[in-house]
Amino acid sequence: MDWSLFFDLTVSGLTLGSLYALIALGYSMVYGILKLLNFAHGDVYMIGAFIGWFALHGLGGPLKPDVGAWFAVLGMFLFAMLGCGVLGVAIERFAYRPLRNAPRIAPLISALGVSIFLQNSALLIFGAAFRDYNTFSLIGGKTYNYGNLYLSVPQLMTILGALGLMLALTLFVSRSRVGKAMRSVAIDREAASMMGIDVDRVISVTFFIGSALAGAAGVMFGLVFGQIYQFMGFIAGLKGFTAAVIGGIGSIPGAMIGGLVVGLAESYATGYLPQGSTFQNLYVFALLILVILLRPSGLFGRAVIQKA
Amino acid sequence: MRKLIVAVVLAAVSVVLATAAWGSTKAPQRLAAAGTSLVKCGSTRTIGFMVPATGPAASIGVQQVHWANFFVKTYNKSHKKKIRLKLEDTMLGAPTGTAEALKGAQALASDPSVLAVAGPAGSNEIIAVTKSLKSAGLAWISGSSTKTTLTTDGTRTGYMFRTVPPDAVQGTTASNYILHVLRYKRVYIIDDQEAYSTGLADTVQAKLKAAGVKVTRDGVSQQQSDFSSLIAKIPRNTQLVYIPWQLVPKGQAFGQQMKASGRGGIKLMGSDGLYDSAFASVGKNVYDTNFPLNPSSGIIASFRKSHSTGEYFGAPTYAAVQVAATAITKACAKGSTTRAKVRAAIQRTRIPASASLLGVALRFNHNGDLATLHKFGLYKSNGSQFLPIG
Repeated sequence: MDWSLFFDLTVSGLTLGSLYALIALGYSMVYGILKLLNFAHGDVYMIGAFIGWFALHGLGGPLKPDVGAWFAVLGMFLFAMLGCGVLGVAIERFAYRPLRNAPRIAPLISALGVSIFLQNSALLIFGAAFRDYNTFSLIGGKTYNYGNLYLSVPQLMTILGALGLMLALTLFVSRSRVGKAMRSVAIDREAASMMGIDVDRVISVTFFIGSALAGAAGVMFGLVFGQIYQFMGFIAGLKGFTAAVIGGIGSIPGAMIGGLVVGLAESYATGYLPQGSTFQNLYVFALLILVILLRPSGLFGRAVIQKA
Repeated sequence: MRKLIVAVVLAAVSVVLATAAWGSTKAPQRLAAAGTSLVKCGSTRTIGFMVPATGPAASIGVQQVHWANFFVKTYNKSHKKKIRLKLEDTMLGAPTGTAEALKGAQALASDPSVLAVAGPAGSNEIIAVTKSLKSAGLAWISGSSTKTTLTTDGTRTGYMFRTVPPDAVQGTTASNYILHVLRYKRVYIIDDQEAYSTGLADTVQAKLKAAGVKVTRDGVSQQQSDFSSLIAKIPRNTQLVYIPWQLVPKGQAFGQQMKASGRGGIKLMGSDGLYDSAFASVGKNVYDTNFPLNPSSGIIASFRKSHSTGEYFGAPTYAAVQVAATAITKACAKGSTTRAKVRAAIQRTRIPASASLLGVALRFNHNGDLATLHKFGLYKSNGSQFLPIG
């Protein structure tokens, strides 16, 4: 057993998994409340990465940030999360809310439309060039080394940051008043409305939080992998969706675990399976098919009884 | 009544299908005729331009657009008869890339004002568009497709030309340097699954293996930006990683992620697709091969003035448009021409070295390769840009 390879793949898988988990949370939360697959979510993540890049350059750039490197990183996260949160609310308000009572295929098509609209708007506004976060210049290239384990600062920050955000979300949903309202709307929207819960507001908050998490994931991606571009949201969004389905769509802990499972599966497949790096997506989506066949409700989802 | 409706619908569908089938069989004849039909040249001549203006490879496509536009601007300033480019976006690297290229080729083929084509950029796209362009009688000159067999398999002779040397030349330059100068024994090769990249990787792999070097081969999708799992597979005692990729940002990201994984000491070698200051900025451990450019060329100096960054990848596209424009001007000497005449004029191209930014005269051999360009240059990064080392 090559332990060095195993640890490298595990760290890589956990880093990727953390990103997928943050994206999956957005899918799961929206699905839990609206029963809508928000396929534009991956592109919100892409916009978050771009907002982070512009925030960094607004704060002086990676070579000489005006406010100190770590404050610049904090600023990137804040701007990206806020910007994406607002974008998510706007998408819900203009693309989904008018279709709330339409057949379920309508908002799905609308979501695909929003996805293509965001991708091409990014191409038009930001241009075709890749943007470089230049993480090395910003926070240095320090790598922690414990025996066979190598861990870079952005990787550590991503894993811990994602864990912190997921914990905060869990506490928010389980303890806060708005969180309780979200759970009520998820169980029965009409009954929640009759109990005096402002359903529209709860849905907006859900989109804000889910999109803000995607924005944070976008910045993390830029910091870990260096570069961002306008098509980055497509495949990441699909993998986030896969993570949400594997974990059990609608379940918050399921999305977290699903993200880590997908990240680790992708990483180990790349490392250990034949032509793994070429066909890593094949292995990830094969896992999705397998889970759907064996456990349609996912690892943490509950089977729903359909009315006849 | 229902039977009647079904019968009517079936009949209508049959008519539509039959019409479509008739159209598709007639189309090649029409296109074939286009190669010899007389076209009035007019005061503005059109060159089709197939380039990845959007999609994952837009970063290199934009460079080709800049160089092509730079030629057109310069040419039109000094000539009464103007040229214009009709751009078709090929979206290289996107899942629909070759389909987009085919669509673009068909659009150019059906436009009688188009007399020749500059591009496409990628070898896969060339394979996809060959039938459409050939049957329309159009010649095309690529400034970046290097797959060796494109010009040697006989399929495109007389139609395809290129202003870059093929993989066989570049691969030999790279492997000779690894074998005889660096003298490395453990090399990891990663292609990006495109014909350009796999062709180069195959050439280098074969030469290194034949010389007894331990070579590990891997591949990665062009659409991927996260290389951490792939990098984890690269043994830490590897001496050099060869990445003949097309997309500079991906090469740069790969180099950065190598550093982040504690493998910053391993040497990296790219190919002409990665010849850019952004890839050089990865560090002093980076090598590259690139088509030779004439450093004292006034054209390059002039381009640098109007473009802030060193976008050299697009330079052979300048040469491609230059070849097309020169041939069209000759073929249009009597005011009208045919695509066949333009093809013949391209085959007879004679542009002197003094007017070429490649530093060599532009003329083609029978296959459509440059008869004057037999080697690639070798470069090493000084931390911010590539400097020639051989």
